[in-house]
Amino acid sequence: MTQPSEHVSVQVEVNGRRYQRSVMARLTLSDFLRDELGLTGTKVGCEHGVCGACTVLIDNEPARSCLMLTVQANGKQIRTVESLASGREMSPLQACFQKHHALQCGFCTAGFLMSATALLEEGQPTREDIVETLSGHYCRCTGYSPIIDAVEEAAAKESS
Amino acid sequence: MSFPHSQSPSIAARSIGARVPRGDDPRLLTGRGQYLADIVLPGELHACFVRSSAAHARITRVSIDEARALDGVVAVWTGEDAAKFCEGIVGELEVEGCFATTMPLLARDIVRYVGEPVAVVVAESRYVAEDGCDLVDVDYEPLEPVLHPRSALEGGPSANEELPDNVALRGGKVLGDVEGAFNNAARVIEATFHSGRLSAGPMETRGVIASYDWTSRRLRLWTGSQMPHYIKYCLTAYLGFPENECEVLTPDTGGGFGQKAHIFPEEMLLPLLARELDRPVKWVEDRRENLMTATHAHEQFIDIAYAFDSDARATGVRIRATGDGGAYHQPPWSMGVEPWCTAMVTPTGVYDIPAADLIYEAAATNKTPIGAYRGVGYMAGTLVRECLMDDAARAFELSPFDIRRRSVVREFPWTNPQGIVYDEGSWLQTIDELERMVDYTAFRERQAALRAEGRFIGLGLSVFVESSGESTAMGKAHDLGGIYHDTATVKMEPNGSVTVTIGLTTQGQGHRTTMAQVVADSLGVPLEAITVRAAESTTYGWGSGTVGSRGAVIAGGAVLRASNVIRTKLVALAASMLEADPADIDLVDGAAVVLGVPGSSVSIIDLATAVYFDQSAWPADFDPTLEATLAYDPARPIFSNGGHAMIVEVAPDTGFVTVEKVFSVEDCGTVINPDIVEGQIRGGVVQGIGAALLERLVYDDSGQLVTTTLLDYHMPSMDFSPPFEIHHLETPSSHTPGGIKGMGESGLIAAPAAVLNAVNDALSHTGTVLHNIPITPEQVLRALRG
Repeated sequence: MTQPSEHVSVQVEVNGRRYQRSVMARLTLSDFLRDELGLTGTKVGCEHGVCGACTVLIDNEPARSCLMLTVQANGKQIRTVESLASGREMSPLQACFQKHHALQCGFCTAGFLMSATALLEEGQPTREDIVETLSGHYCRCTGYSPIIDAVEEAAAKESS
Repeated sequence: MSFPHSQSPSIAARSIGARVPRGDDPRLLTGRGQYLADIVLPGELHACFVRSSAAHARITRVSIDEARALDGVVAVWTGEDAAKFCEGIVGELEVEGCFATTMPLLARDIVRYVGEPVAVVVAESRYVAEDGCDLVDVDYEPLEPVLHPRSALEGGPSANEELPDNVALRGGKVLGDVEGAFNNAARVIEATFHSGRLSAGPMETRGVIASYDWTSRRLRLWTGSQMPHYIKYCLTAYLGFPENECEVLTPDTGGGFGQKAHIFPEEMLLPLLARELDRPVKWVEDRRENLMTATHAHEQFIDIAYAFDSDARATGVRIRATGDGGAYHQPPWSMGVEPWCTAMVTPTGVYDIPAADLIYEAAATNKTPIGAYRGVGYMAGTLVRECLMDDAARAFELSPFDIRRRSVVREFPWTNPQGIVYDEGSWLQTIDELERMVDYTAFRERQAALRAEGRFIGLGLSVFVESSGESTAMGKAHDLGGIYHDTATVKMEPNGSVTVTIGLTTQGQGHRTTMAQVVADSLGVPLEAITVRAAESTTYGWGSGTVGSRGAVIAGGAVLRASNVIRTKLVALAASMLEADPADIDLVDGAAVVLGVPGSSVSIIDLATAVYFDQSAWPADFDPTLEATLAYDPARPIFSNGGHAMIVEVAPDTGFVTVEKVFSVEDCGTVINPDIVEGQIRGGVVQGIGAALLERLVYDDSGQLVTTTLLDYHMPSMDFSPPFEIHHLETPSSHTPGGIKGMGESGLIAAPAAVLNAVNDALSHTGTVLHNIPITPEQVLRALRG
C-alpha cells in the first residue's frame, strides 16, 4: 500500500495546460493547485468540504478541491478561476458579479464563480436552480441576493 | 477642547452619492487577490498548534521529544519557552469595576478553555508540522470547569485564578427616578433573554507570517488584521522589537467583522519564532481552530423590564446584562465591552425614557474568550429592547409602529439619561417609513387569511440608533477611555494622478472605492487617476482600527483634510495662471475653472505639471509640496439610525422559519456609494438572520465545544437569503466630511430582533412568546403544540 508521504506520479490538465508531477500521496488537490502550480485563486476556507470556496471544475463538474487528493485527479481536466477571463476581458459572469456588487471580501468568490460557470454551461437556469446549486457555498459578506442577481443576468446574457 | 484635526473641510458631492463600481473587483474576480495564505516567502517554515483538549485542567506533563525527532520538524515550543520572552498579554476594559487578566502566549501549568494553545510545532511543511502536533503528548489532571456565567458569579470554583470570584466586570448606574417609574407604571413588560454564543465566521480564517532579519533587527509581520498599528504597538511594547524596524503588513483580507480586531497569542509567537529560528514562519488557521479559538461573541443573559404609563409610553427601564466571557480578556476589547455596552448604552435606544437602572457584569468561564463581532453590545441590547416593545404592543393592543411612536424621541438635539447627546436623527421617520413599506393593514389581512388556512406568517419590527465613527469624542460621551485618530496621505504627481494612503485596513468594505470618490470630489480628478492604499503597511499612516463603523467617517475625514491641502495649492496656482480670485476657482471634471467665466480654465494635469516643472507659473511664496498627511478625529460623537421590518413564515410541521422579505431603512447621513451601503446592510442582516435562527456555538457539560465544523456551526446559505427592499433616509451630520455617518454594523445590530419579533407575531395565537436566540425548530414546535 502507498504510504501517505510517499510520492506518486500524476498527470493532469489544468486550465488547458498539461502537468506531469510527482506528488505526495496525501497532497490535497487544493494544495497542489495553490502550492505546486501557483494557482492561488482557489481558496481554502474550511478544509472539510462545507464552505465551497475551494470549488474547481473537474471534467466540467464542480468538486471540492480540499476534499480530493491530487492523485484522484490523475488523468482529468481541471478548471480554476484563473481560466475564466479570456485574454484581458472578464467573462460575462465575472462582469455581472462586479455590476451587482456580488462580492465584498472576495474570498468565497472563486468557488461561487466555478459552480455558477458549470450551471450556466448546463443550460438556462431559473432563479430557483441558481439558489439550489449555490446554496452549497458560504458567503459571509453579501447576504447572497446580489450573487443570485449576477448569475441570473449572466444566464440571460448567454441565452440572448 | 477643540483641535484642528477635528475640523473637516466642506466638499461638493459629485462622485459622492454615485453607484461607482469597485476598482478592486476585476483583480479579486480573476483570482489575483493576494490573501495571507497566498504569500510565500523564500525559506519559510510552517507552524501548527497543539491545543488544549480540556476545558480546565492542570498540565502535568508535556512530552515533545518524539515531535522534535520527526524528520522536518525544526522546533517545538511549550509555555515555558514562550514565557521566557513574554509572560502574556494583559486585557481589561477601561471602565469602573473591570479586573484584568493576563493571557499567556502558550498555556503553562493550567489550561482554561478547549482550544487554548499549549505547544507550537514548526516544520519544513504544513503537513509535517501537523504530523509533529500529533506526536506531542500532553497529560491533563482535570479541574472543575466553570460553564454557567450567572452561577459562576455567585461563587464556587474559579475559571481563572486571577479572578477568584469569576467577576471580570461588575458595575452600573441608577439614573432618574426608577422606583417612581415602576411604582406608578400602568404595566411592566419584562423578560429574561439569552442571546447565543456566536462566531463572526469570516470566510478567510486568521493567519500570520513573520520574517526577521537580525542584521537590521527588522521584523515584518503579515496578518489580516483590522488593527495593524495596534499589533505593531504590542510587538514593540511586549516583545521589544524596535518600533522603527517593525512593520505590520496587511494583505487582502477575507472578512473580519470584528474577529480580526484583536491581538492574538499567535501574532506574538510567530515573530519570536522567526527571530529565534532565523527563518520566516507562517501559520494559517484551519476552520476548526477558527471556531474554537478565534474569539467567540455576543453571548449574554439579560434581565430587562420596562415601565409603561397608561398611555403606553415607556417611563423607566431596568436591565442586568451578564456576559459569558470565557477564560481571559481578549485585548483590546475584553469580555467587558459586550455587557457594558448592552447595559449602559442600548436600553433607551431611540426612546425618551427618563429613568434607567443599569447593571453590567461579565463572568470568567472556561470557554473561548469573547471578542468583538459586528454590533458589539448593540445587537443583544437592541434584541431585548425591541422585543419587549413588540411584547408591549401586544399587551396594549397597539400596532408595533404605534407603540414605538408613543415613546420615540422627536426633538433634537436630545440627551438621554446616560448623558449622551444625539445631534440629529430620523428616528420617527424611520418608523413611519417602515410602516409604509410593509403596508401594515394589508399585511394583517393577509396574515389572517393565511392563518385560516393553517399557515403562520408574522411581522417583526426593530429600530435602532448606532454609535458610528468610533472616536475620542465618542469614548468621552460614554465615559470610556480611548484616544483615537487616523491619518491619510494624499499625493499628486506630475501628470495629475493621485495616490492616497489611509490608516485603516479593509476587509471587503470597498474603502478603496469610497475614498477615491471623496478625493475625486475634492480635487476634481477622475476616479481612474486615483489609487487608494488601505493600510497595506504600518510604514504609512496611523490608524486606530477598522472597527466601530468608523471606516467611511474617519478615513473620509482624514482623506478630505489631506486632500484639501492639495486642493488649496491647485486653486492658488490656477488663480495665478488664470488671473482670477482664488475664491472664484472650482476644481471639477479634471480642470480648474473660474466660476462665471465660461472658457477660463486650466486642466488639473497642467497644474500638476506646473507645480513640478514650471516655476514661472507659480504665485509668490508658493510651496510646491503636493503631498500632505493629516489626521482626523471627529469633534463630536456621530450616530446613525434606521430599522428593519421582516416578514417570516413558520412551518407548522417542521418548526422551520423562513424569512419572506426584509424591509430596511438606513440613515447614515450622506451616502458615498449606495451599492456599498446596501451591501453592508444585506450582509449584516443575513448575519443577523443567522444569529436569530441558525448559529450557535455549543459546549457540553464537560466544557467541550461540540460545534467545531461548519456542518455543526450553521451559517446562513443562499437558500436562507431573503429579498430586500432598502430605503435610504439622509440626515447628514453637521460635523463630519460631507455629512457622512458610519453604518457597517447596523444590519447585524437590529436584524435578530426583527426576526424574533416576526416569529413571535406568527405565534401570537399560541400565547407563547420566545425570548432566546437562536430560535430553534424545537422551540417553535413546542409553542405551536402548546
